Amino acid sequence: MGNKFYTPDGFNDQFPGICGFKRELESKLRNLFMLNGYEEIETPGVEYFDVYKEFVNEEELYKFTDSKGSLLCNRYDGTIPTVRFCAGRNDTLPVRFSYIENMYRSGKAGGGKLSGFTQGGIELLGASGAKSDAEVLAIAIKSALEIGITDLQVSIGQVKFFKGLMNQLGIDEEGQTKIKNAIANRDSVTIEKLDISKEDKETLLMLTESGGTYDTIDQILPRITDEGAKEALSNLKEILDIMERYGFLKYVSVDLSLIESIDYYTGMVFKGYTYEVGFPIISGGRYDDVAKSFGKEIQAVGFSISLTLAITALMRQDKYSPAKGASVIVGGDFETATATAEALRAEGTPAILDTTGMDEETLENYAKEKGIETVMFMDGGKA
Amino acid sequence: MLTIALPKGRLADQTLDIMEKAGYDVSAARDKSRKLILEDKDAGLRFILSKPSDVPTYVEYGAADIGVVGKDTLLEEGRQLYEVLDLGLGKCRMCVAGPAELKDKLDEIPNKRVGTKYPNITRSYFEGVKGESVEIIKLNGSVELAPLTGLAEVIVDIVESGRTLYENGLDVLETVADISARLVVNRVSMKMKEEEIKPMIAKLKEALVDEE
Repeated sequence: MGNKFYTPDGFNDQFPGICGFKRELESKLRNLFMLNGYEEIETPGVEYFDVYKEFVNEEELYKFTDSKGSLLCNRYDGTIPTVRFCAGRNDTLPVRFSYIENMYRSGKAGGGKLSGFTQGGIELLGASGAKSDAEVLAIAIKSALEIGITDLQVSIGQVKFFKGLMNQLGIDEEGQTKIKNAIANRDSVTIEKLDISKEDKETLLMLTESGGTYDTIDQILPRITDEGAKEALSNLKEILDIMERYGFLKYVSVDLSLIESIDYYTGMVFKGYTYEVGFPIISGGRYDDVAKSFGKEIQAVGFSISLTLAITALMRQDKYSPAKGASVIVGGDFETATATAEALRAEGTPAILDTTGMDEETLENYAKEKGIETVMFMDGGKA
Repeated sequence: MLTIALPKGRLADQTLDIMEKAGYDVSAARDKSRKLILEDKDAGLRFILSKPSDVPTYVEYGAADIGVVGKDTLLEEGRQLYEVLDLGLGKCRMCVAGPAELKDKLDEIPNKRVGTKYPNITRSYFEGVKGESVEIIKLNGSVELAPLTGLAEVIVDIVESGRTLYENGLDVLETVADISARLVVNRVSMKMKEEEIKPMIAKLKEALVDEE
């Protein structure tokens, strides 16, 4: 076993100071979710492959079989297992669930992205409309601010707008895929080469150049005749109105080129960005059709934040301080030392009890090396 | 500060010419030393010189905000980037090439062996566009040797003038894609540094129009 010491590609250990820091962030998120009425659930981390197969590329799932030969996979995200959970129950809707869990995605590692990483997120199930969309978006912004990501930009888009626009321009499915890719890549080269009218090209180019707030919507609205696309824009407008009430408008911009790669989104979608990481740390949106895969009609909206990417960003933004270990070590006479350590712990001071019988000098040196502030050496009452 | 990844070589110089025309002071990047990072604090620009095929990696991971890269590399690597501008540099074609007598008869050969430096482009062309399975043989250079030695029936490669092909009795059989250098932008930088990047794209666009 030459590679015994190493973790597999895309996976890593959480070192003591970082792990403690991460737990602090998790507590902040957990508290925020709870304050907003989102009850935490835990899914097992292993799902039937069938649960995911409609939504995720097969090669991105870690798959294995159980003793009966059923094909299983690791949890890929928080949303699908939560919808599965909700669809299997008969709760009065809406319900609000949250999670903080590790996710496993094969072949997605690199640039701060790992194959095994931690996400926190919420799902609001059984609620439609802009007010519900806005609640989730507002909590997404709060979650970033809560864990110290203050340089935040959130782009919001609308899947229905794109669908409506394609309908309006009369573009067939093959053309739509091409345009979708071009817009998602902001590839104006391809758009300019399309065989459509100059005016339609201008409209498509407006999508790739969008990035304002109300102005972006007002600018494109006169060109839109499709009812679905119009509704999508008014949904975004209402979300912006609510963001303004929260005081969050400064974090938000409208990006009509945000056409999610995951096809399950059906309405507004958003991504959150910060400095020093090349990938979005927040991702969310409305997914009204996912529950259909489980035989239910549940309109839903949710988001997740990657704690793993957020920690990378915080470290590079100099906003990271490792969690501290014990501040006191007690050694010397074991009986007295035990009593002293217990007394310290009772008043809330993290204390290490030396169980190896170090002499005073060794104990001092050990404490110094480990960064333990206080050394207490007990002489057993003989002095 | 914007970090710009340039591919070492002629393409880097040509890009700098366009930037200069667009009104940017790029004298720092003209430094002919062996430095890999060239910074001009006043201009707010930092240039990194990398191997051409590494440029999309630097940009996707956010180590650079902007990059210049050939469409061939973009197609092959399939990175998550914004591809905002065609710089019109390094124009060429990605082609299927082989013995001239195979012209218009390519589809008649079953289970073709294809030699290429671009296995992903080759796979998506044959499987996605033409709907056939092929055996891909990954090579690292002088791909023309493959059909000449019987290693493969055809190749997929970049063709500029086609001279190397013709001199070896080969010809272009099909065109896979038109290639030229593109300006790519990291998706996060586009949001977080919008105030610097958007005007740059606009100015470069203008400089390119003037040239035409």
